[in-house]
Amino acid sequence: MKSVWVIARLSILENSRKQVFHVLCLIMLAVIAGSTLLSIFTEGVKIKMLKDLCMTCILFAGAVLSIGLASTGIPNDIDSRVVYPILARPIARWHYVFGKFLGTAATVALAIAALSVVFCALIYCHQGHIDSFLATAALFAMLEAAVISAVAITLSTFTSTAVAALLSFMVYLFGTIKIGYLSKVLEKSPNSIAKTCGTVLYHVLPNLECFNLKAALVHGNSVPISYLLLVFSYGVCYTAFAVGAAALIFRGREV
Amino acid sequence: MAVPILTDNLSKTYKLPGKQTRKALDGLSIEVPEGVIFGFLGPNGAGKTTTIKILLDFIRPTSGTASLFGQSTDNPAVRRLVGYLPEQPYFHKFLKPTELLSLHASLCGIPSRAVKSAVTTALERVAMTHYADTPIGKLSKGLTQRVGIAQALVGNPKLLILDEPTSGLDPIGRRHVRDLLIELKREGHTIFLSSHLLSEVENLCDIVAVIKNGSLVAFGPPEQIRNATTYIRVYTQTAEIDCLERLRFLGVQIEQQTDRMIFRVEPEKAYELFRALEQLGLQLLRVETERESLEEAFLRLAA
Repeated sequence: MKSVWVIARLSILENSRKQVFHVLCLIMLAVIAGSTLLSIFTEGVKIKMLKDLCMTCILFAGAVLSIGLASTGIPNDIDSRVVYPILARPIARWHYVFGKFLGTAATVALAIAALSVVFCALIYCHQGHIDSFLATAALFAMLEAAVISAVAITLSTFTSTAVAALLSFMVYLFGTIKIGYLSKVLEKSPNSIAKTCGTVLYHVLPNLECFNLKAALVHGNSVPISYLLLVFSYGVCYTAFAVGAAALIFRGREV
Repeated sequence: MAVPILTDNLSKTYKLPGKQTRKALDGLSIEVPEGVIFGFLGPNGAGKTTTIKILLDFIRPTSGTASLFGQSTDNPAVRRLVGYLPEQPYFHKFLKPTELLSLHASLCGIPSRAVKSAVTTALERVAMTHYADTPIGKLSKGLTQRVGIAQALVGNPKLLILDEPTSGLDPIGRRHVRDLLIELKREGHTIFLSSHLLSEVENLCDIVAVIKNGSLVAFGPPEQIRNATTYIRVYTQTAEIDCLERLRFLGVQIEQQTDRMIFRVEPEKAYELFRALEQLGLQLLRVETERESLEEAFLRLAA
């Protein structure tokens, strides 16, 4: 297992040098600048809009970073040949895949944590106190990012970087537009192929919307612990399944 | 202990776009004994890299088997005994040699407390301590190659698989690597060396395998491969080329220089050549044995 951590650490170092992190800085600056425009609203509306804006940014940044980093990690290592000396070491292929996933997920989690701290401070400036639920919402945003990363890594083990990124983005889109609703629409279709597609999509694609706690944060609604535990378990299981599939596919792949 | 490398009837066929295929290896059987420097030669596309990739489990054979120290190549644990230098090694450019080697030492399973000394030893062996903390991206091609060799040496592996280890090195660097390989052999390491520098292979290797189109065409000590075609070179005074035409039937190669003639013939035809030259009244100046170089043998075998 030591080799998994070694590869994860290398992956974090590698990811942190990529230019996608400049996007994060831009997002932070955009939100901080945008928050000054909210002063035209009443105090209550302003705080709600600010929280909405912050959570949207965290979720969006998490998804973009996950897709960007996870779909390029393994294909880039193969294309640049840096994978050869690593795989020539006494490590199993799954160590490498799991290490790459952990490294990517940790990088995105760090980015989300950094955004959360900045936004927490911003909300504090406007609200006068820290909303502790933002931490819970950020944690579930990290979990959503982990699921997206796992899916992107799985796709990247058998496709090119571009195809993996495109497919991951489609999974993200389908996953966030309430997949249950989508499948119901397809199931009502008279076309049997569409019905089958609806069923398959419903069961295979991740339901990313369940990780989005933005509404509860904005409106101050309480979320039952049981629901949070269920969603957490779902996220962990889905991620484990996807990474397991990635390891299995990569085990059979010739590099 | 089992032999470091053993392949038995190893074949690999690549699928190409469409229904086309390309046979990269065709029934390759080689055995690399312990403690030797083994030269693996072949023209481009002969199947050298494919063989190395199979040995390291990057790709799987279509048929046949390959083993390292008696264990199947798909067993990751066996690679604890192997150090690998890829052709034109690429590493993460932001890493420093010490960081890269520490990473590989950890991947080898070296305990954390022993990593530092393993890294220092490997860097010292390739004379890279001066550049230990320079990011790899800022190193020249030759220095990067040395880092690659150091990386292969981390963990003191029993078997070293080196793909073009002197590529990109200057003459001093090449000499240094040659000395290092001899030293490693003395220490009991087995070295599998794939190289295009035939003079290097000739001077270093105990056993040489030449492959062509994925099949083995020659195997044995360099002397054995070369000896098969030794030539006799005969120097005489100059003569009219017309009168020498009768020598052509012996398969004699004739070279006319300003002050002498050079005749090149296989040893078994030397006696007939001497008689013919005597009949022509040509005075012998010198006779010497021309040993075929490994390069000539390679060109003959691989052409």
